[in-house]
Amino acid sequence: MKITGKENKQWSRLGSRATYGQAILMLAEKSENLMVLSADLGNSSGLDRFKATYPDKFLNIGIAEQNMIGVAAGLAKEGSVVFASSFAPFITMRAAEQVRMNMGYMDLNIKTVAIGSGVSMSFLGNSHFGLEDAAIMRSIPNMTVVSPADCAEIVKTVFAAAEYPHPMYIRLTGAVGFPVVYEDDYDFQIGKAVEIKSGTDVSIVATGSMVYESLEAAKILQEEGISVSVLNMHTIKPLDTKALDILISKGKTIFTIEEHSITGGLGSAVAEYISSIPNSPVVNRIGLPDEFVITAEYRYILEKYGLVGSQIANTIKQKI
Amino acid sequence: MNNNELTLLAKKSRVQLLELAFKSDGPSHLGGGLSMVEIFTVLYGDILNYDIKNPEWEKRDRFILSKGHGVLPFFIALHNAGFISQDVLHTYKKNESDLISHPVMNLELGMESSNGSLGHGLSMAVGISLALKKRNNFESRVFVVMGDGECNEGSVWEASMSAAHFKLDNLIAIVDYNKLQSDGNSETVMDIGLLEKKWESFGWDVISLDGHDIVALNDALSHRGNNMKPRVIVANTTKGKGVSFMENNNTWHHNRLTQTTFEQAIAELNL
Amino acid sequence: MTNKEKYAQVFIDSFSITVDQLNENLVYQSVQQWDSIGHMGMVAALEEAFDIMMETDDIIDFGSYAKGIEILAKYNVVI
Repeated sequence: MKITGKENKQWSRLGSRATYGQAILMLAEKSENLMVLSADLGNSSGLDRFKATYPDKFLNIGIAEQNMIGVAAGLAKEGSVVFASSFAPFITMRAAEQVRMNMGYMDLNIKTVAIGSGVSMSFLGNSHFGLEDAAIMRSIPNMTVVSPADCAEIVKTVFAAAEYPHPMYIRLTGAVGFPVVYEDDYDFQIGKAVEIKSGTDVSIVATGSMVYESLEAAKILQEEGISVSVLNMHTIKPLDTKALDILISKGKTIFTIEEHSITGGLGSAVAEYISSIPNSPVVNRIGLPDEFVITAEYRYILEKYGLVGSQIANTIKQKI
Repeated sequence: MNNNELTLLAKKSRVQLLELAFKSDGPSHLGGGLSMVEIFTVLYGDILNYDIKNPEWEKRDRFILSKGHGVLPFFIALHNAGFISQDVLHTYKKNESDLISHPVMNLELGMESSNGSLGHGLSMAVGISLALKKRNNFESRVFVVMGDGECNEGSVWEASMSAAHFKLDNLIAIVDYNKLQSDGNSETVMDIGLLEKKWESFGWDVISLDGHDIVALNDALSHRGNNMKPRVIVANTTKGKGVSFMENNNTWHHNRLTQTTFEQAIAELNL
Repeated sequence: MTNKEKYAQVFIDSFSITVDQLNENLVYQSVQQWDSIGHMGMVAALEEAFDIMMETDDIIDFGSYAKGIEILAKYNVVI
């Protein structure tokens, strides 16, 4: 699925959720056996146009996430490619066991899409935040976990997911105005990290919304003579260990950055791998703390926990 | 308060609610908040036993807003009752405030539990009701407000089944039956069927009434049952009640008031 | 292009409609493409066409073709 910089700018304006809605709408044109499910959050998932255009491909299960996953399983078993969306905690925790049994244990071809993951739900608060969703999904065998870095990557992920015959958890961070990372088309493959920026002094491994913030941090550090590489690890599971091997061989301190708890997400996954390699560099995990976080505007929350470019740059400077 | 005073308070509360939402300069769950104004007015104006100077008073009634996004009338009721001061009320949806889009547990401010994810409150209410009975506290009652969309959640029915099983006659549930949910008309999204009959078949005492009728609400909520059954009040309401352009208009499920729409709404209420 | 022509073209392009639909009946959700996504796209196109940045309240109040003309006047764009 090719994208252009111009499209990415337009999608960025609409934001992550609306882009998901657009992507699945485009996918429906080519996908005969696509089924799209929602748990009374169709409008919130940017799916109103999909519902109107492909009513036969859409099912609303009402406010019943556990049932949604079970229903998705039945459909998948009978040959549909199923996308089911809701907010992160409701998919990964309310319906955790259904996810585990149907997507993990039975390896059924369901893609769950978590809209508003991380802290972008702002004033809706902790009940709606995705603080630990990647950690939980990562721990389930057979699960693939992807966190797109910008709207173009959301589109590419949706298209790639449709061709990928395994269960997947797609974690959408960012909100309206999700900043552009990719100004041009690029090669996207599930499980293959993308080096967005090369560098020689410090290695950043980031995912989702934090890829853009890492690039901002890298710009700031560049001006101070510190050369930072930024690797977009969009697929948190399976981790691209070959890309990590390259970072290990560079021998520079590694920083992982995610809009997720530092417990169990990207940082933990990277640290798990690297700690088994002799003479490997230190891994510093930057992310949300092991707490329920404050409630505020989205950017305010990110700033509170040091997750915007300038703050990331400061953290890196202090540690190296 | 008598019923006339409650009616006046409900009217005032609607204005306060709109002002609160407008001041917050962002979207609020207006529709589903306006549908519950009479319910909250009667609960906090007359029914609930509480002591604002002693929020942990053992003999207090417990209230849980399981329909967590219904905070607007809740905060207004808590303010009018004296739990939330004017200053604190104005922190609604300000960065790092105690008053956000869902209740966050804080007994000082009158909030018994944290909510936001639907389908949790009734279970906690069952637990509290059991605890009260164990301690021989036969005065306190436990009240839970839920949405009809919320009744899509299986956990509600687990709790419902257990409440009847444990014979919790100190537990009163109120369903804000406004027949709409986030994606639209409830019958179209996920048809709940005969809601009253479902509760009845789960072993509850069911009262069906007009959820904007203060007299009926007061009557239904004051009566203590003596038949060892939990009670549910299915309150037939209108989402967006009180503001003509919001009534049954689901674009007001979660939306922001502009200067124009705020003025129009207030003008209607002040007639 | 005059402002009026630019304005009209945005609606025609954004919602795949024809020139005879550009009247007081053209309101939000009255044509299939003028849903919430279409709305954001139309607003973005207008902002680009007239080099303005609209405030959130104006974006929300922009409920019709006619109302839009009123709103744009606030940004010194006379249709």
